[in-house]
Amino acid sequence: MNRRVYFLAAGLVLVAAGVSSFKYVRGGMKISPEASRNLWRVNVSMEIAGKGERAKVRLTLPRDTERQTVYNEHFENAGLTFYVRERPLTGNRIGFWRSELLEGSRTLQYACSVQLKGLAFAFPGDALRPVNALEAYPPEFHTWLNPSDFIQSESAPIQRSLKKVVGRERRIGPAVRKIFDFVRGDVKYRSERGSKDALATLARLEADCGGKARLFAALSRAAGIPSRLVGGIILKDGVKSVTHVWAENYIAGRWIPFDVVNDHYAAIPHDYLELYRGDYALIKHTGLKKFGYFFVIGRERMPPVDYPWSLYGLPIHFQSTIKVLLLIPVGALVVALFRSVVGVPTFGTFAPILLALAFREISLGVGLLCLGIILFCGWLLRALLDRLKILVIPRLSIIVTTVVILVLVMMVVGFRLGEEKMLFISLFPFIILTWTIERFSVLEIEDGLQAALRALGGTTVVAVAAFYLMAWNALRVALFTSPELLLVVMAALLLLGRYTGIRVTELVRFREFVRLGKGGPG
Amino acid sequence: VNGFGTLRRLGVLALNRRNARYTLGRNPRRLYPLVDDKLRTKALLEEHGLPAPALYFRIDHNFEIPKIRQIETFKDFVVKPARGAEGRGILVIADREGDRWKKSSGEVLTTADIEYHVSNILAGLYSLGGIDDRAFVEYRVRCHAALAKHAFRGVPDVRVILYRGVPVMSMLRLPTRGSDGRANLHQGAVGCGLDMARGETTGGVLKDRWIGRHPDTGLPVAGIRIPFWKDILATAVRTYDVFGLGYMGADFVVDHLLGPLILELNARPGLNIQLANHKGLLPVLDAVDARGRGVEHFSAAERLELALNLVR
Repeated sequence: MNRRVYFLAAGLVLVAAGVSSFKYVRGGMKISPEASRNLWRVNVSMEIAGKGERAKVRLTLPRDTERQTVYNEHFENAGLTFYVRERPLTGNRIGFWRSELLEGSRTLQYACSVQLKGLAFAFPGDALRPVNALEAYPPEFHTWLNPSDFIQSESAPIQRSLKKVVGRERRIGPAVRKIFDFVRGDVKYRSERGSKDALATLARLEADCGGKARLFAALSRAAGIPSRLVGGIILKDGVKSVTHVWAENYIAGRWIPFDVVNDHYAAIPHDYLELYRGDYALIKHTGLKKFGYFFVIGRERMPPVDYPWSLYGLPIHFQSTIKVLLLIPVGALVVALFRSVVGVPTFGTFAPILLALAFREISLGVGLLCLGIILFCGWLLRALLDRLKILVIPRLSIIVTTVVILVLVMMVVGFRLGEEKMLFISLFPFIILTWTIERFSVLEIEDGLQAALRALGGTTVVAVAAFYLMAWNALRVALFTSPELLLVVMAALLLLGRYTGIRVTELVRFREFVRLGKGGPG
Repeated sequence: VNGFGTLRRLGVLALNRRNARYTLGRNPRRLYPLVDDKLRTKALLEEHGLPAPALYFRIDHNFEIPKIRQIETFKDFVVKPARGAEGRGILVIADREGDRWKKSSGEVLTTADIEYHVSNILAGLYSLGGIDDRAFVEYRVRCHAALAKHAFRGVPDVRVILYRGVPVMSMLRLPTRGSDGRANLHQGAVGCGLDMARGETTGGVLKDRWIGRHPDTGLPVAGIRIPFWKDILATAVRTYDVFGLGYMGADFVVDHLLGPLILELNARPGLNIQLANHKGLLPVLDAVDARGRGVEHFSAAERLELALNLVR
């Protein structure tokens, strides 16, 4: 029987290893050496500090295009609500973090791996510029033909400049070339705080990438060619916070990139990561006292795995639920270890795991404090109810009801005293704390106060241990990338299930024997 | 320095191994209700002619509570929950004074108090997990004089561990002031190891400490002779044939009139019996296993013989 358990455990580990290596090998074989040089890991870190009101941060996230593949996305929401929306016209993917009431400093993170390709376009330049562009293109292109706040394509200076630069050239190709050469050559590059608009760039003939791209787009639109800005980062190992902006013109049925700053005519190099389209900002935020961000960019070794069953394939805002779910078996392993090997008494198997999850939500210190207060009040109440000789189930229900009243009182009093954050403690940890006191009471009835206190202490210790293990980021990421590791957890639990050794606490229980063994028989 | 090594060398059975090898390995799940429900235990014991305190009547439902008036015809009795564990919910009425009842502790109760106690039992106040329970009223055991003086209130009992039907270890459990008249070791009763061949105590343990004298009576815990010891062993061996649990504890009391009676059986007997006996269970358990597969099929007399050979 023993042997069967070992075989099963070994089998589970083998299956996990097999799944892992299959994923690795399959992913690795699909990638050519040239492409693997263009794998990057990009991490956006945002340091924010709230001012005690509603706060919102939005960041445009990279999306899949013909030249970039985004995979293994990961985010840290630091207690804020996170969700992703896609914009219809541009197709931009926008991640929102929001909190109804944000106080103190937090770090929000978004990380992803990307595989990029450089592209160069050749386009037939013989087509003629339409006389009336708005009629020549379907309505969804009108946004990219009409003037906008910073791309004033219909203003007189732009129209005059267009006449001077393009002259009587009717063909699209040579016209774009002339505009490109003018903006690249005649406008000097100078980095500045806040990009200029197209008019100011034309007036000063000096701008950063944003101003130059706007002027290029304004002249293109004036020439009747749909044109838009594209924002992104030029990837390079290290830490940076500089973004880049270039332009795209719609020529011969496709969007073709033009970067006047770095002289990429109808081409885009392999290290350009595209983040958004249109004249937008990469990051916007409201309700913050302080905001700072930076990118950490490094090389990625794992190529994108075309693996439909990966958890990364799920919508990114559901992934946090899954991460919590993945931690439960880890917690169970901790509980099993503590109970079978150390011999710490706990309230059942799940109480320590649930407590650890509650601690994750309301922080360890607050969680322990709440646990203490609620248990003490509940115990006091139970002692009073004992005298009334009430049956167990109604008695426990009275205790649970009282805890709920206690929480409500804490909320109302806290709110009146101006501690608004009392209202936002999530319901889940309180349910768990309330349930813990029920377990405590049952054990006290069955085995007495001493045993109940011992189990409470044990539960707390195990919960704290599970809390720290669950907070271990590398483990969470590993479990998320390779959920097959759960099979290894199961194998470990199987072996624990056959562990027939002496528990550590039994050394104390049988200490008379230990002493006997040392002192010789007698 | 290495406590683990010491415990292993002395053959101390620890919880993990007891659970995996002995209770899970030897006690089929389906047999548990036979011993967890005292009414079923009692019925089986009676059916096979094994001695137990007589059942007066049982109360299964709330509407039957008026049945309790039958106690008017008794002078003393015990009210018990069918599924109460570790002596919880047991009410011992030692005497009556007019229409009132006197507990063994001296407290005086009315019939209404007893009815309330029964309704608590039915609602599951004393059962594990709080599930609904049944109550019954039975004969009150009065302890044999040879043992009575060693206990502080309450009735001492004798626990015999049977492994595959062979008695392997036993102890006398003496209630103390701390255990509130109950004979459970972890509630503070004194456990005295027994010389299986002679039926005489060899020493004792209180909580997890070895002691020489009973904390309340002051009498030595060694050298107490158990009356009817041979009968106790013989009865214990026969219970295995009825219940079939491979690892079981049988609790006996010795009544001053009726002699040894089986009080209850336990499918997960505790490990402190080893402390009471100052020795580990594993050597003797292994010795039983060394007799081969057929131990269960030995006759009761052969298993008794085997037990006495093992301890010799």
